[in-house]
Amino acid sequence: MKARFLVLSAAVLPAAFFLTGCETTDARYVDSKGTSTIVSLDQIDIQDWNKAAEEMVASLLANGVLERAPEQPSIMAISRIVNNTQQQIDTDSLTKKIRIALNQSGKVVTTTTLGLGGKAEDPLAKDAAEMQAMLGGQKKVTTLPFYTLSGKLLEDRARAGSTRQVTYTFQLSLTTVKDGLAVWEDEKQITKQGKKPAIGF
Amino acid sequence: MKIVATATALVGLALLSGCATNVNTVSRSESQATPAMVSDKRVITDVSLGKAIRIVGVNEAAVSGNLKKVQVTIENAKNNARVVNYKFEWTNQDGMSTGGVTETWKTLPLAGRETVTISSVATSPKAVDFTLKLLEGK
Repeated sequence: MKARFLVLSAAVLPAAFFLTGCETTDARYVDSKGTSTIVSLDQIDIQDWNKAAEEMVASLLANGVLERAPEQPSIMAISRIVNNTQQQIDTDSLTKKIRIALNQSGKVVTTTTLGLGGKAEDPLAKDAAEMQAMLGGQKKVTTLPFYTLSGKLLEDRARAGSTRQVTYTFQLSLTTVKDGLAVWEDEKQITKQGKKPAIGF
Repeated sequence: MKIVATATALVGLALLSGCATNVNTVSRSESQATPAMVSDKRVITDVSLGKAIRIVGVNEAAVSGNLKKVQVTIENAKNNARVVNYKFEWTNQDGMSTGGVTETWKTLPLAGRETVTISSVATSPKAVDFTLKLLEGK
């Protein structure tokens, strides 16, 4: 009896270790632009950024305002994008996609040496330009933008019974620097609904 | 027996009217719009989706001088609400994908018998052709 138990244990235990060692994780690759990305109620998901950026770009390009700039491509600077949501957000998640699309269209280029509060996105380019001007015995000429892009992100939450709803509002304005007028504005909303989990919001 | 049948019918009617999700529309009897319609080629690999989502028409325009914009009108051919995912892809004169950063899948909820337009603006002036991909959503 004892011998049979020992033999059985000797067979079962290694099998148990083997199975545990072969256990696969749930991690897998999914397409960042695809349909399998997670939809969550407590943050702006990647597909939300993609959708908002795409719709804003389409709106801006369809508007035709970029054609009226005196020079093509026109120069744009990124101004203040206010985050009024409950999350810590890097607004580049939205603005970078817009900048890339506008750059690809050939209509707009973005300055990286002139930023909000004098802070350059590319400080090396800014310093190199200043050094080049100094070595050439010239005063550095700053190319001012023709447009600036500013905006705001908003969050609105609602609950009915066990259903939670969150709406993220993306607001953008394109302003001509010479007269301070918003020549293009748009707002896009993304609303998500889901059931309240057992714990948490 | 007659009372049971009547009660069943009434309950069924109440349930059906509460679940109705179809969309009625009103528009001008003779449209003033003059869209530039595009003849299209369709490849159906999902037969059920092909029956549920009808492509009404495709029209094209130029925006910002030299960028193509395409608008596709689709109809939910069924009475029940459904979700469809869609994605526009653009190709240039050489048949190469332009790979625009805005070419992403999007989710579109449709009410029963609802007709909507979905559109895309090519971010590359070299884009000449488009492909619209449709995928049944959850």
